[in-house]
Parts: sequence; structure tokens; C-alpha cells
Amino acid sequence: MKYLITTALVAGMLLPTLRAADKPAETAPPPAVKIGDIAPDFTLTDQNGNKVSLHDFKGKKNVALAFYIFAFTGG
Amino acid sequence: MQNFQQNLAKLEAADTQVLGISMDSPFSNKAWAQQINVTFPLLSDWGGDVTKQYGLYNPKYKAARRVNYLIDKEGKVVEMQLDSDAIDPTKTVEACESRKLNR
Repeated sequence: MKYLITTALVAGMLLPTLRAADKPAETAPPPAVKIGDIAPDFTLTDQNGNKVSLHDFKGKKNVALAFYIFAFTGG
Repeated sequence: MQNFQQNLAKLEAADTQVLGISMDSPFSNKAWAQQINVTFPLLSDWGGDVTKQYGLYNPKYKAARRVNYLIDKEGKVVEMQLDSDAIDPTKTVEACESRKLNR
């Protein structure tokens, strides 16, 4: 029971924060990269330790690049 | 990311590679990918250089904003959804499928 109450409390505190993080901050500047721009290249490490670059897919595939706020959250 | 995983077959059929990206460490991303069965790459922008270059750093949360980009084969951004509009990948899937049809 105590565990349940703690879980509910923690979830209750966390949820509004995560919801707020999804709202466009009124002061947030527009993204630097917009429709029509060439997406800046990058090379980053994935969850299996592999290096992945945007240019790996050039001329081969479209890329759906999904920025997310934190691991272990929804979306 | 679960939403993208659910649509992965459709996106792959439309010649589209899905890449998740955040400022989490590769270790966090590995644990999370295993927990939610994500099979596409989750990229670690540890330190936030790429997030900042794209203009998506939110100093309040010390993390990226939620944004989906669709980048075509020439490397050009053709679609973008911001914040709460970026949770549902339906628009991305539809854009990929219509691009495939129009080719």
C-alpha cells in the first residue's frame, strides 16, 4: 500500500512536468533547421555502440529524424 | 518512440530510415530500447551539440524539444512537426507514402 501511494505521488509529480515539456515554450525560438533547409550532418552512437551518420542514407533513403526529450518517457 | 516502432514497417516500405535522437547516454537508450522493443537506432547526442545545432535545445529541461523531421534522399528537410504535434508520427508516415507514390 505504501508502495502504491509512493508510486502515485511520484507519477503525479512527474506527469505535469512531462506534459509541460511538450508544450511549446512561449519564449522558445523557432528551430534553426526548417523545411527547405539541408539537414546538418552528424555522426552519433546508437544504443548498440554503432556509429550512425546522416550521410549514410544520402541518395538511398528518406530519414525520419525524431528528437525526443528523455528516454523512459512516452512518445 | 513506441509510436514510430508501431509504424516501422510502413515507414520502411516507403524507403524511410527512422532515427531517434536525444541527449540521453547510449546506456540509457539501450535499456530503454530493450524495455519498449525499439529496433531502430536511438542516437545519443550526449552533450547536445547536434540538438543545439538544430536549434532544439530547451535550457529549462536541459534536453531537446520533441521534434520530428522528415529528410529526403537529397538531405533536405521536407516535413517538420514540433512539440505535442510530434508525438503522433501519422503525418510522417503519410508524407513518406505519398512521396513514394509520386516518384
